[in-house]
Amino acid sequence: MKTLREMLAEARQAIREEGPEELQARLASGEPLVLIDVRDPDEYRDGYIEPAVNISRGFLEFRIGTAAPDPSVPIILYCQTGLRSALAAKALKDLGFPNVINLAGGYQRWIQSGHPTVKDSPLTTDQIQRYSRHFLLGQVGEKGQRKLLRSKVLLIGAGGLGSPTAYYLAAAGVGTLGIMDGDRVDITNLQRQILHRTSDIGRPKVESATETIRALNPDVTVVPYPHRITVDNIAEIIKDYDLIIDGSDNFETRYLVNDACYLQRKTNVHGSIFQFEGMATVFAPDQGPCYRCLYPVPPPAGLVPS
Amino acid sequence: MQATEAVDPLIGRLLTFDALGMRFREVRLRRDPNCPLCGKTPTIKDLSIHAEGAGQACAIGDNGPTRAFGVGAPSAAVGAPAAKPGS
Repeated sequence: MKTLREMLAEARQAIREEGPEELQARLASGEPLVLIDVRDPDEYRDGYIEPAVNISRGFLEFRIGTAAPDPSVPIILYCQTGLRSALAAKALKDLGFPNVINLAGGYQRWIQSGHPTVKDSPLTTDQIQRYSRHFLLGQVGEKGQRKLLRSKVLLIGAGGLGSPTAYYLAAAGVGTLGIMDGDRVDITNLQRQILHRTSDIGRPKVESATETIRALNPDVTVVPYPHRITVDNIAEIIKDYDLIIDGSDNFETRYLVNDACYLQRKTNVHGSIFQFEGMATVFAPDQGPCYRCLYPVPPPAGLVPS
Repeated sequence: MQATEAVDPLIGRLLTFDALGMRFREVRLRRDPNCPLCGKTPTIKDLSIHAEGAGQACAIGDNGPTRAFGVGAPSAAVGAPAAKPGS
């Protein structure tokens, strides 16, 4: 009969092991991979490595087909210390998966190396109902919804672009919405700026925006910034957000948002509109162009009506 | 349109919508190697050009006169320079 030590040694012979740094590099590169947490569900609930799915050891062979439909994509397994997952990786190897990797040292060493983990709070009964249509979408599901609830998005401008954007993100359950706008509601805003109502005329836009969003979805924490974004406040404000949405209405702000987002490695979702024409794109630092690649210099004053 | 993108990035693609003609268009965008911010030899390394008194921040850029819209875009297909800041 084999001892546990012999079984582990045999497993390690057969599989590849990588440390936390290598996994971090793979995750940062965005390469396709399947990350599986093979611990028990209660361990996973206490914290896991994003974007791992939880398939506990006992179910692995039964569920791996669904979790890893393309066998050529690397499968990385981890457990608490790297032992259970070494045996699990060997089992997958024996099933014929060619590219199985065990995270050496497991979750424990990952944490000790200072890498981030996430912890999901359980969804309430109301949340399960509210987001049930998202759960039906394979690409969102419960996991995606939890991620949305943990996400922080900053909207620069609560006007014609920021209004519908904020409203839809709030409905979808994006957990934190920062809303920045120094203006007050004017009657001429109301035919398109759907966060604000007739009774809000004269009030700061961030106030009416906050009320409308809270009434729509109490899960959303709104952080109001009742002033303009400037060179003095932008770095401090955007640093806490995962994503910046530029719904501003002037070129100076757009260049400022673009530059600050690039320098702080924040993705900037950009939209603009003129009369009947709208456009949208995403500026992700070093993954694609920035606003200055698109518009090296602003149009001469007077060319563009304001 | 912008709301959906927050969850599904459109990196390097510009999506335009003409509500009068009811047409969507897509233009591929490429990085500008001469971009003063994200190009090979960047000249903008902090936000100081935006500081008050530093002149018009957005007017900097040593790429000469305003170019036609779109880096590598098939001509100025979308008429983007007319896209006014809107809110």
